[in-house]
Amino acid sequence: MDVKVFQFNGCKKCFNETLLLKEDAKYKVEFVSDPKNWKGEKGDISVITGYLVPSDLEHLERIKNNSNKIIAYGDCPATGGVFALANQKGHDVTPLTNLIEGSNRVHGCLGEIEELKLAIDGTNVPKLKSLCQVCSRKATCDYLEEINRQIELEDSKTCFNDLGFLCSGFIATECKEKCIDYNTPCRGCKPSIDRSGIRMLAMFGTLAGNIEIATEHSVKGATDKLGDDDDDLTDSLPDVVGNFFRFTLHTSGLPKGRIPSSGTLLEDVFIGRLIEEIPLITGVLGGAKSISLTLKFIETYEEANQIEVSEQTKKYRNELLQLEKDLQNAINNEDASKYKEITDKIRFIAGNMNLSNLFFGGFKSIIDANDDFNEYKTHVFDVVEGTYKNGSIEYTINPDGIITKIKIKEELL
Amino acid sequence: MSDCETPDEYVQERIQNIVVFMCNECGQGSANTAGVARMSYDAAIRIIRVQCTGQVGPIQIMEALNNGADAVACVGCCLGACHFFNGNVISMHRIKLMKKLFKELGYSDQFVNQYTSRAAEGETAVGDFEDIIDRLTTAIQEKGTIKDGC
Repeated sequence: MDVKVFQFNGCKKCFNETLLLKEDAKYKVEFVSDPKNWKGEKGDISVITGYLVPSDLEHLERIKNNSNKIIAYGDCPATGGVFALANQKGHDVTPLTNLIEGSNRVHGCLGEIEELKLAIDGTNVPKLKSLCQVCSRKATCDYLEEINRQIELEDSKTCFNDLGFLCSGFIATECKEKCIDYNTPCRGCKPSIDRSGIRMLAMFGTLAGNIEIATEHSVKGATDKLGDDDDDLTDSLPDVVGNFFRFTLHTSGLPKGRIPSSGTLLEDVFIGRLIEEIPLITGVLGGAKSISLTLKFIETYEEANQIEVSEQTKKYRNELLQLEKDLQNAINNEDASKYKEITDKIRFIAGNMNLSNLFFGGFKSIIDANDDFNEYKTHVFDVVEGTYKNGSIEYTINPDGIITKIKIKEELL
Repeated sequence: MSDCETPDEYVQERIQNIVVFMCNECGQGSANTAGVARMSYDAAIRIIRVQCTGQVGPIQIMEALNNGADAVACVGCCLGACHFFNGNVISMHRIKLMKKLFKELGYSDQFVNQYTSRAAEGETAVGDFEDIIDRLTTAIQEKGTIKDGC
């Protein structure tokens, strides 16, 4: 079967993952990393990866005219993905379905290769369970006493939401990356329903029913009304867009954002996000240097705020950096078995390809069963306002822990 | 029109459809009382009767806004007086998150609101309607409604 894989803009994580198609002899795979200069030969199936903007339409139409079936692989072409967060600042990241009719979708960040194979073969994906059904934590759905932005890793049996720690598992399906297994709440990259972000917002609003909220006396109505002041609810959720709509901002039926853009699309993705969420965002942004970028971000903050890091943590981090280099070599050589071997090693340390296990001060879950987890366990850290600079990266956070300015040099992208 | 002036006629013209979800108990009750007392209110107000404002969430609010509503509001029972359990408070929390969301997207947060009213007093409902219009006027003057975007 003739399969062509096209990489458009942004991170190449899903594009690299399609290397695994080569392991199966029935697929004749061709990789096109520069679709703009692709001449256009007839083919059977076209797989689109990377985020799309309206100016890509011309190239997409050429691809459509030359293929029998188009598949959007990964969240970026399927829903806009994490890059669609830049739409908050007026960018126009668009899912494939808005540009080309009749395309198939494989959700997920990273998209699952088994599902892509089923989509290529034309077989339906078997009905997936909800993430909560496969989660080892148990939910009570009681009203929350408080909302926490970070939690200590003590309780591994209670639902994150019950601990007041937002998790979008309610609206997600089971997945391979499974951040929840690494003490990281789900952000809903593989939604089980449409407009998932806004439904999760409703769900969390309900759970937060006991949290103090600002009300004021309505002079005209002579009764109480919802107030405009900040209250416990808004203070504990400083980034609604980034937490609830991380992968679905474009497809949630919301108006396009009007916040002034600060520069490049990538920087706009980061601005407005919370410091504790950054490792996961840099992780999903992938790219050839996602591990270096994530670690650089973390280490810059650790150094400036004297967060101690154990030798064991450093050892694992260095291993990851080495694996990143090896992975790049395997990708350059189009060596599928080597790619699989190295990604398995990365998953062993970092949990998944989104690097869920990485955090400030250590790791979120035990890596090797023989290790003493206390040696590299992360703890809740303080949000300290300031500008952090370390070589190729510079960012500023405000007292709420929101990124207000960021500059990433090209060597980290 | 320059950025700094928004004539009253323009604002009036812009206020065409305001969807108000009123609960079947106090909300609708006070509107009925207002009707019996022949109180008048703005013609742009479109009332939708719901069992409880706890039934109304971001999905319904976005549906209304995307289908042409200029503003959406919920009117429920007074705090602590929900006829079910605490639907009015739950709805307030959701609407507060919606307000935060619109602010984060660069819009005004004045066109989505929640109020309470008393079934025995029609003026509470009419007062709420007037407040909805006042807040929407502010949003229009700030050029912050959804229709000002995109």
